[in-house]
Parts: sequence; structure tokens; C-alpha cells
Amino acid sequence: MIFAGIDIGSRGTKTVIMKDHEIIASTILDTGPESVKTAYGAMYATLQGTGLQLENVNYTVATGYGRVLVPFANENISEISCHARGINYYYPAVRTILDMGGQDCKAIRCDAEGHVTNFVMNDKCAGGTGRFLEMIADVLGLPLMEIGETALQSQNIIPFNTVCAVFAKSEAIAYLRQGVSRSDIMAGLNEAIAVRCLNLLKKVSIEKEFSITGGIAKNKGMVAKIKEKVGLEPLLAKDPQLIGAIGAALFACENFEGKESEDNGKVQYGYIDGSGEYFITIDLAKCDGCGQCIPVCPYTVFEVTREDGRKPKARVTESTRKRLSYICPGHAVCLKARRSNCRSVCTKDAINLSW
Amino acid sequence: MKTIGIDAGSLNIKVVVLDDNKITGYSIVPAGDDGTASAKQALENALVLQGDACKTVATGIGVKLLTFVPQQKSITTCLARGVRFLFPSVKLSIDMGAESTTVIKLNDKGRLADWANHDKCASGTGLFLQQMAKLMAMPIAEMSHLSLKAQSRPEITSTCAVFAESEVISYVHRMPPTPMPDIAAGIYYSVVSRVMSLCKRVGIEKDIAVTGGVALNTGLVTILEKEIGTKVMVPEVPQIVAALGAAIIAGENAQKGITQ
Repeated sequence: MIFAGIDIGSRGTKTVIMKDHEIIASTILDTGPESVKTAYGAMYATLQGTGLQLENVNYTVATGYGRVLVPFANENISEISCHARGINYYYPAVRTILDMGGQDCKAIRCDAEGHVTNFVMNDKCAGGTGRFLEMIADVLGLPLMEIGETALQSQNIIPFNTVCAVFAKSEAIAYLRQGVSRSDIMAGLNEAIAVRCLNLLKKVSIEKEFSITGGIAKNKGMVAKIKEKVGLEPLLAKDPQLIGAIGAALFACENFEGKESEDNGKVQYGYIDGSGEYFITIDLAKCDGCGQCIPVCPYTVFEVTREDGRKPKARVTESTRKRLSYICPGHAVCLKARRSNCRSVCTKDAINLSW
Repeated sequence: MKTIGIDAGSLNIKVVVLDDNKITGYSIVPAGDDGTASAKQALENALVLQGDACKTVATGIGVKLLTFVPQQKSITTCLARGVRFLFPSVKLSIDMGAESTTVIKLNDKGRLADWANHDKCASGTGLFLQQMAKLMAMPIAEMSHLSLKAQSRPEITSTCAVFAESEVISYVHRMPPTPMPDIAAGIYYSVVSRVMSLCKRVGIEKDIAVTGGVALNTGLVTILEKEIGTKVMVPEVPQIVAALGAAIIAGENAQKGITQ
């Protein structure tokens, strides 16, 4: 069985192919302007040399910012879940993860199975992200791959009191003009970012077994600073940038095995609140995806989708799931008002309303 | 009596000379790398000599560089005094500088009642606008005029100046591309929404004045007026309000006999 995980991030696209829980191929490419093209390109590049074709991949999970635009993916899973699952593959003991990506930074807590228990993220500001480091590397005239080493050579750290990329850039230019060395500037910025990461980690609470993932985990200068501030030695994977894609491939493997039985189960959409229980139950074994329930509902609660590349089934739309009691008066009232509703038109008797 | 106010901002150093409650000279000089030298240059441009330093008050973020001025005052107090001098009826004043936005509230006597400021990051500041103008390859003044022709506006959701830049690029390259005036208006709206949240923190009360270099941006001020729901007052030279306030305080101090 062949499984694939593709992590389309804001800056880089990571792809992993797995066979029997072993990574057989992986690539890291730049995310281009067209997500669909990027997805195909990354997948073909990864399959090259494995002797496999796209058709040989049994199940693919997409994650990351661009996950919705992967045409061949069977399922989408958030990158937070994938990072937690991916690090669990290498270090099952890890409970706290710092994921430093191209355009955001997250602190994640997970359990022994690699399930997310809590997380906080900063995606509002470029401080502490890859974009920030790219900008600074540009100002300092250093190749991105060298900034980590450069920072380690610092003799006299320059304190920066901002993590705003725009302010830091002008501050760095001013220091350069004053003749401050590039390594001292870089170390100062790394320190400012490390403090910020520490604050993010504190919000989810830090456990001894701690890991850093994402592209920035390859930056030795930054990792050293975070280690210094957090006071713990991070457990780093062989390629920390791939963790999200590995997690996705692992999910692909698990979810593929669990799929067949799920097809025959019942799915409940809804919630319980103070006024009662509001659940729409769809019996997937009975539903044939005919779509008759869609036009009869005046509130357009239903849709038919081909979820995860399987047979078409009726679902409750995402936008109505959390406010069912506000828009739908319930089976009996609805039927009285218009003589036909979702339940009455369903020839397979697959829909049930709890109120 | 002649008094001087110096406002060392993050981008420019402003000097105002006040003679018997009349502005007799002012100058605006880029701060550059050597703040002290720039300040001296600004003083020279405003046709004053350093010997008058005993009647001088300094303010602004770069106040530490102005070691030759013994008297210093906080920027909020100076802004309050300066805006009261120009517009006695003002209750709320919005100062939009290069690296920070400060909203101050004045009481009936024209003294500082409350204030809120944002100086943590570039979002909603003059530097943000400068960067956007650079991105759209036009002078700031042109962007300001262009925004007045906007038919609608795209929502720029990013707070961060760096992310907003990519968002603007995506609007430029959309098919069909979003018209330039609309993008300019969208950029201004994003700045205004930041300012509005600061205003709401201290409470909006008429009359309202807008100061600082960003106030020169007619396009932005128009949008701000629309959002705030009332006309705002903009001084002729909005950049020098804090320096003016400092000069007024210098006069008060001289009368009270304060020299330090």
C-alpha cells in the first residue's frame, strides 16, 4: 500500500510518499502562484525515481494553507493535527511542539497518540516567521542558508526591542550603517524572536519533551537561541520541515484503513444547547446521493458531496451546522407548512431530525 | 519671549520657534543616522542658535539623542498642548506618525485626560503607507489622490504590513485586476480601522483633529471622516504639532522658573 502526504505551505510545498510506515521518497519545493500546478508538480517530482505513478498511490492527505486546492487528495487535514501526528512518528514522547513556518508560528500540545490537545498560533504578524528571516537576510545581504551560522558567531548581541518585520528592517539598516557586525544583528533578532516563541509556548505550557518543526528548525542560530530561552534541549527530527507532510501521510494510512466501515455508518450533524438537542442524522448506508433533499429545503441545509473521493453522499452544509435550531423549525413544523421536506422526499429514508 | 520646541521623531526631526505666542519659524529635517547632528541642522534651518537652549523643550521617541537640551517632556503632553493652541475646541486628537499612532483626549481645560497608542508594529502607521506606495510604484501624494476616485474597496484583512503587502499583490494580479484607486482605498481603510479601534478605546468626542505626517494624506483623512462620522480638523503643517506643544511648554516653564 502506498500513501502520500502533501503539505502546501505558504512558502514551501513538502511531499512525502510512505510504504508500510516507511518514508520512501520526499521533496521540498517552492510553493508557486498556482496551487493546483504546484500540487501536481510536487507529486510528480516526488514519485520520480520510485517507479510509481500517481495512480499507484492508494490514499493522499493534503494539509497546509493550500490544502483545499489539491485535486488528487482524498482528504484535507489541518496542518496542526499533521504536525502533532508527524512528530509522534519520530518522538512519541514529545508533548510540546513549536512549529515555525513560512508565514506563521504555532505552539502545539499533543498526547501520546499524537492527537492535538491544545494550540495557539500567531498568523497576524510576520514576527517569528520565515518571511521575517527572509527579509532580514536580504537586508544583511546573506544567503538564507547562512543566517543560522552567522548568528552563532556573534560576540556582542545587539538588543532589538521589536519583532515587527518593518521596524526591525529599518533598525537593522541603521545598525549596519553604524558598522555593527551582521552576526551581532542576526543574533539580536533571533533573541527577540526566541522570546516571542517562549511566550507562545507558555500559553500552552511547556513540557520537558519538546520539539521544533517547520523550516526554521533548520536554522541553527535560531534553535540555539530558543534552547537558551526555553531552557530545554529540543528533539529535532531528521528533516523538521517535512513533519507536516509525514503527519499527513500517516493520516492517509490510518484513514484509508478505517474508510470502508465508515461508509456504512450514521453521521450526525448538529449540537446540544440549553433549549434541546438538534441533530440531523444521515444514514450513509441508505443514502444514495440522489440530491432530492437539496431543493425541497428552503434553508439549503443539505448538499451532496463526494467526500474523500468516495461515493456521493448527502451532508449538512458547514455554514448551517452550527445554527440548525435557528434556521430549521424541525421536521413536523416544516412538513405542515409546505407538505414536503427533506424527510418526506427521501425515498431511502436516510434522513432523520431529532427535533 | 522666544521659545523653541524640538520633536525628534523616528523619521523626521521637527523644530518650532515661538515668539510671543506666534510661530516665527519651523523646520523639518530627516533624522538620518546621526540624530544629534540632524537636530542641530533643524535648529539652524529654523534660524535659531543653540545658545537659546535654556528656553527649549525636547520631545519625541528620539529625545535621548538630544542631550544638549536639558528639558524634556512626554510626546502626549506636547501633542495635547500643541493641538489646543491650534484648535481650542478640540476634544480628541489623532496623531499619526511614521512608526506610531497616538490618540489623545483633552478635558475642558485642554489638559490631557486620556490617551492610547500603538507603537508595537508597523501596521496602521506612516511607514506602512510608505511601503504600500512603494509597492504600487507611485508617490504617496498620488496614492492619496487616486483613492478619492475609488468605486469600491477590497478588504485587506492582514494586520501585518508584510502580509498586507502580499495581499495587495494578489489584488493587483487578480483576473480581472482590482482597479488601483480601489486598492488605494482598501489600504487606507485598513489603516483607518486600526486608528478607529484606538479612538474607541478613549471614546470618540467632537471636535476631532488629525495631526502628524500621515494627516497630509487627503485620501486617508476623507475615509477617516467617513468612518468617524464627522469632519476633522487638520492643521496647515500637521507634522509640527508636537514640536509646537514643546515650545509652548518651554514658555510655561520659563515663566515658572523651571530650568531642568
